[in-house]
Amino acid sequence: MNYPYWDLPQIGGASLIALISIVHVYVAHLAVGGGAFIWLTDLKGAREKNVKIHQYIRKYTWFFLLLTMIFGGVTGVGIWFIIALVHPSATSSLIHYFVFGWAIEWVFFLGEITALLVYHYKFDQLSHRNRHRVAFLYFLFAWLSLFIINGILSFMLTPGKWLVTQNFWHGFLNPTFLPSLLFRTSAAAMIAGLFGYVTVVFEQGASFRRTMLRYCSKWTLFPFLGLVIFGAWYLFSIPKHISTITFNFNPQTIPFVYTLLISSILIFIGGIAALLKAKQSTQKMLTFVLVIIGLAWMGGFEYVREIARKPYVINDFMFSTSVLKSDVDQINQTGLLKYAKWSKIKEINDENRIEAGSELFRLQCSGCHTINGIRNDIIPRTHMFTYMGMLAQLDGQGKVLKYMPRVLGTEEEKKALAAYIVLELNDKELIENPEPSKPIIPETTAIPPFNSRTDQYVLLVWNDLGMHCISDSDPWFVILPPANTLEAQLIRRGTRPEIVTDGVEITYAVQKGFENPSKHVDFWEYADRIFGAKLGKDTGLAGTGMSGAFELDDYTATFVAEKIPVVPYSDNGTYQPYPIFDIEARETESGELLAATKVVAPVSTEMGCRNCHGGDWRWNNTSGLSEETAINILKAHDRINRTDLYDQARKGKPQLCQNCHADPAMGAAGKADLLNLSAALHGWHAHYLAKEGAEACMLCHPSHPTGNTRCSRSVHVKKGIKCTDCHGNFADHAIALLKDQQGRRSAELLLEALEATQVASKEEINPRTPWLKLPDCLSCHVDYDKPGEHPSSFNKWTPGPYALYRNRTDRSGTRCTACHGSPHAEYPATNAYGPNRDNIQPMQYTGEPYPIGSNEKCEVCHIQEMKFEIHHHNLLKMFRNKVSVH
Amino acid sequence: METLTLIPTPDSIPAPAWFFQVLNILTFLIHILFVNIILGGSILILMSRLTRTDPPLDQSLHGVIAPKIPTTFALAINFGVAPLLFIQVIYGQFIYTSSVLMAVYWILVIPLLIIAYYGAYIHIKNYSKARTLSVVSLMVTTLILLYIAFVYVNNMTLMMQPDKWASYFQDRGGTLLNAADPSFLPRYLHFIVASVAISGLFIALVWYLRSRNTAAEAGEKINSGLKIYAIGTSVQVVVGFWYLLSLPRDLMLSFMGGNMVYTIILAAGIVLAMGSIITGFLKNLKATLIQLGILITIMVITRANLRTLYLADYFKLNQLTLKPQTDVMILFLLVFIIGLVAVGYMIKIANSAPERRKA
Repeated sequence: MNYPYWDLPQIGGASLIALISIVHVYVAHLAVGGGAFIWLTDLKGAREKNVKIHQYIRKYTWFFLLLTMIFGGVTGVGIWFIIALVHPSATSSLIHYFVFGWAIEWVFFLGEITALLVYHYKFDQLSHRNRHRVAFLYFLFAWLSLFIINGILSFMLTPGKWLVTQNFWHGFLNPTFLPSLLFRTSAAAMIAGLFGYVTVVFEQGASFRRTMLRYCSKWTLFPFLGLVIFGAWYLFSIPKHISTITFNFNPQTIPFVYTLLISSILIFIGGIAALLKAKQSTQKMLTFVLVIIGLAWMGGFEYVREIARKPYVINDFMFSTSVLKSDVDQINQTGLLKYAKWSKIKEINDENRIEAGSELFRLQCSGCHTINGIRNDIIPRTHMFTYMGMLAQLDGQGKVLKYMPRVLGTEEEKKALAAYIVLELNDKELIENPEPSKPIIPETTAIPPFNSRTDQYVLLVWNDLGMHCISDSDPWFVILPPANTLEAQLIRRGTRPEIVTDGVEITYAVQKGFENPSKHVDFWEYADRIFGAKLGKDTGLAGTGMSGAFELDDYTATFVAEKIPVVPYSDNGTYQPYPIFDIEARETESGELLAATKVVAPVSTEMGCRNCHGGDWRWNNTSGLSEETAINILKAHDRINRTDLYDQARKGKPQLCQNCHADPAMGAAGKADLLNLSAALHGWHAHYLAKEGAEACMLCHPSHPTGNTRCSRSVHVKKGIKCTDCHGNFADHAIALLKDQQGRRSAELLLEALEATQVASKEEINPRTPWLKLPDCLSCHVDYDKPGEHPSSFNKWTPGPYALYRNRTDRSGTRCTACHGSPHAEYPATNAYGPNRDNIQPMQYTGEPYPIGSNEKCEVCHIQEMKFEIHHHNLLKMFRNKVSVH
Repeated sequence: METLTLIPTPDSIPAPAWFFQVLNILTFLIHILFVNIILGGSILILMSRLTRTDPPLDQSLHGVIAPKIPTTFALAINFGVAPLLFIQVIYGQFIYTSSVLMAVYWILVIPLLIIAYYGAYIHIKNYSKARTLSVVSLMVTTLILLYIAFVYVNNMTLMMQPDKWASYFQDRGGTLLNAADPSFLPRYLHFIVASVAISGLFIALVWYLRSRNTAAEAGEKINSGLKIYAIGTSVQVVVGFWYLLSLPRDLMLSFMGGNMVYTIILAAGIVLAMGSIITGFLKNLKATLIQLGILITIMVITRANLRTLYLADYFKLNQLTLKPQTDVMILFLLVFIIGLVAVGYMIKIANSAPERRKA
């Protein structure tokens, strides 16, 4: 950031470094190994008094000189040139911290070329003894050059104690110095063997060729022992946190690891093949191929080593972006544009926002990413993102997947960068928040009649969760199938009311227009593949259809209609997330109607995935998870987790998320070493949607106040209670879920970068199993009383499923939800689709939207006034939170 | 854009700046001598070979240095590494920046240098076998060398003129040059003419050494070489004054009494140049060599002085933070001595080897 940036948007400086470095390093290793080869082969020739070997080594040296001294020497300077152009800050650091190392290396370089020139030009004049001495000196100087360069190169990967002391020797003799030196020395010998073949195959005389090929094969094959041993040592010398990022997460590593392994095998086979009898032309061909494979080997190795350093150029010291690790806080406070000396723009305003974004891109991204270019092209990597998605990506980058650096700068700068990438590079609109839905036209809800004098039964029905989202992306994946559960209790009115469970049948039927969900979603086409269940059209996973009978659950004295496959799409093309069900209770024997009411089955396909992952709505441009969104999600999952979900889906085998990720809500066990679904989803996205407050929730859940569902309908909303007041801010919420999953590797990785916002530290957050432990109502409503100031039940989880609001009963066996309504829609609820759509039963039985029995209306069931608070304390009062819902 | 805000913050140095400045001047001196011989030698050989006669190698004036050009390449590159290292240590914030501003031209030096280097080998290996190939190769080598000199003069002058750096914001692709600067052309010519002159003197020297070894008659060749030197240096004096006058006024005046030390050093150089021209025309090799040795040292020092003056408004060497690495510095000096001993030893056994030994 100290230096101007050489703008090469299509090529990228990194590619130029790679191009020059790989060829140089290959030849440079030959310069070392070949030095030993010349010295030892010359000795062998003299010892065996073999003139042919003597002649051979003279020719070899000429070839060697032309290749290593000219091409190798100049490309070596070339690396220095190119890194100084692409990474001037890093180069300056290496030069300044290690100048005497470089100066020593220069002396060795001088010794090296002097020796080589003397050896070559005086080959015939020197005595054997002197010639061998010069050859040895050449090898010595060449190897010492490697010794020095290796110290500085390995320092960049593992600076070790230098980070604290900045002492030359601590940096130079760093943790990977020795294994790397021995590994490279072995590589040098192996490469000397490969290039030995090159000169041997042109020799005349089949038997001499064979002898020398065998000799060269020794050079090629024996070093493999060193490569394996020192390679393993090298690998294990790399600190765990670096190797995890490199080998488990960074998708860039994989092709180069394969290149390295496959080329190793091929070279080994080639080395053995060279032992076999063959025609000279075949030998030449083999040699040529082996030299090319050797180059691939070198490239594979160097790339893996380079990638292992990411996101740093000098590990834990300087990022690839040339930013010092120690400057990060300052940059985030004052801004990157001010920090970067060579930024034209220092202050962002409305006119220069995109240009500032391009400046920020150059400063932070161009080091690795090209634009429409040859390497790490940014366009396909960001094309799926919306502006919000891009912002989220920039926020979360480098937190978990640490092979990329964190994006630095102020919020304003991140927005400018995101705007540049989305608008300028990808030509997409800048939509900052989820778009408001089409206006919702509220309907009047017909309230069923109730005659308090003559009616003998009160039928209370509710939805178990208050909102059930469904993913209608069935051809790609299913995270939530259509499955709404209605529950009912039937109370016989009287001076001693009774919960009726025997001799009655309770039936349900969905409102007109919603009877055919299979017309609107592909669930039934994929149900057998995804769930292994042969389902009849419009029949749900528990066998219930769009109309049918409740089943009695004796234990809770509740009738249950489980997993009704209702969808929010009506046949007339409108989106309605609160379809109404007619519920009737009849005497089983006579069929006499005892009570009738209505209830909504809240169901939404307004899942906010597309806010970040892009794509349109699937259904009538209104709601639903589109193909594009689903594919983008699968591709992201595949890239991050090395899965092949997208390919599987394309082949007609879409997956259920819960096949791998446990989910208590579905009773899915998942895979033991993976996170449960809630922990995975929240734990991952909390890094990217690092917002506090309910704004984060409504990016994904259908609770946005201008969305097409507006699922937060409860009385709590009126009182200003937000999602996060009970569930916690996104990070805190995620921490609670992840702590429940501790012991799994992903949990540790995800927890690492999350910080608590509502309590002092993560340690204070209590673990929570999703769906089974939830914020406890009674933590605010202590003893059913009015909550105190600023109520919050965050971190006060129910001890287990029995204590959940949706499962609890009072002392009479009446379910909390029977009188108070569904979770998230507690009476008096407000519903954008009709003021009383969620309050049907209170309106029916009491004429008011308040909980059944409130305002001292005990007569609804008791047919008289009551004096004892049998249901719960604080009951016999006028309801506190008056609302107008008419 | 404020020029000062563009100058990068330098890193700390592990030994006093003067130490690196001395090493920089010493190694640059050797480097530039080798470079002069490669470029000047190539120009002279090329001129000779493009005449209609093109005498065989062993009869031509340059016959003694032509086979040495490739080897000189190796040494020039090696001795180029050292000053480039030391200048990055003390002037890194300037030279990294100017290099980036002209990155395209700068990096092209590498592939072109490889071609020029091979060209020198191709030239000499085919000298009489394949004349056209040989001459074309040398032509390519010479043109590339002129290109590299052009790029280097651009960079060395651009690094001293941070006031020109803001042009980066109009061109971030690394294609800025400083060739329009009034002092660019005289500085460039000052190097090329010097190369020719010094190559002339080098030819004279090699002929002299050869004649001493073989007792062959070489007087005419020595004189020709000296003549090239004397004429070349005469032109060089003129170019030198042009260069001086082309400098920004305050810098020029510093060398005309404004800075007495710098003025005296330069004046001594001019006197030596004149003296060496005279001894050159008088065919006195030794006197010319000695004068040139001092002269070239003075010129390299003056070159450093000029840089100090150019950068005076922005930077002084004593502003660098010193974080000593004395142990490593001593190790370097030891290695340096041992290295020189080893190099000396190898040169000694090479020179003491008989001309042809039966294998």
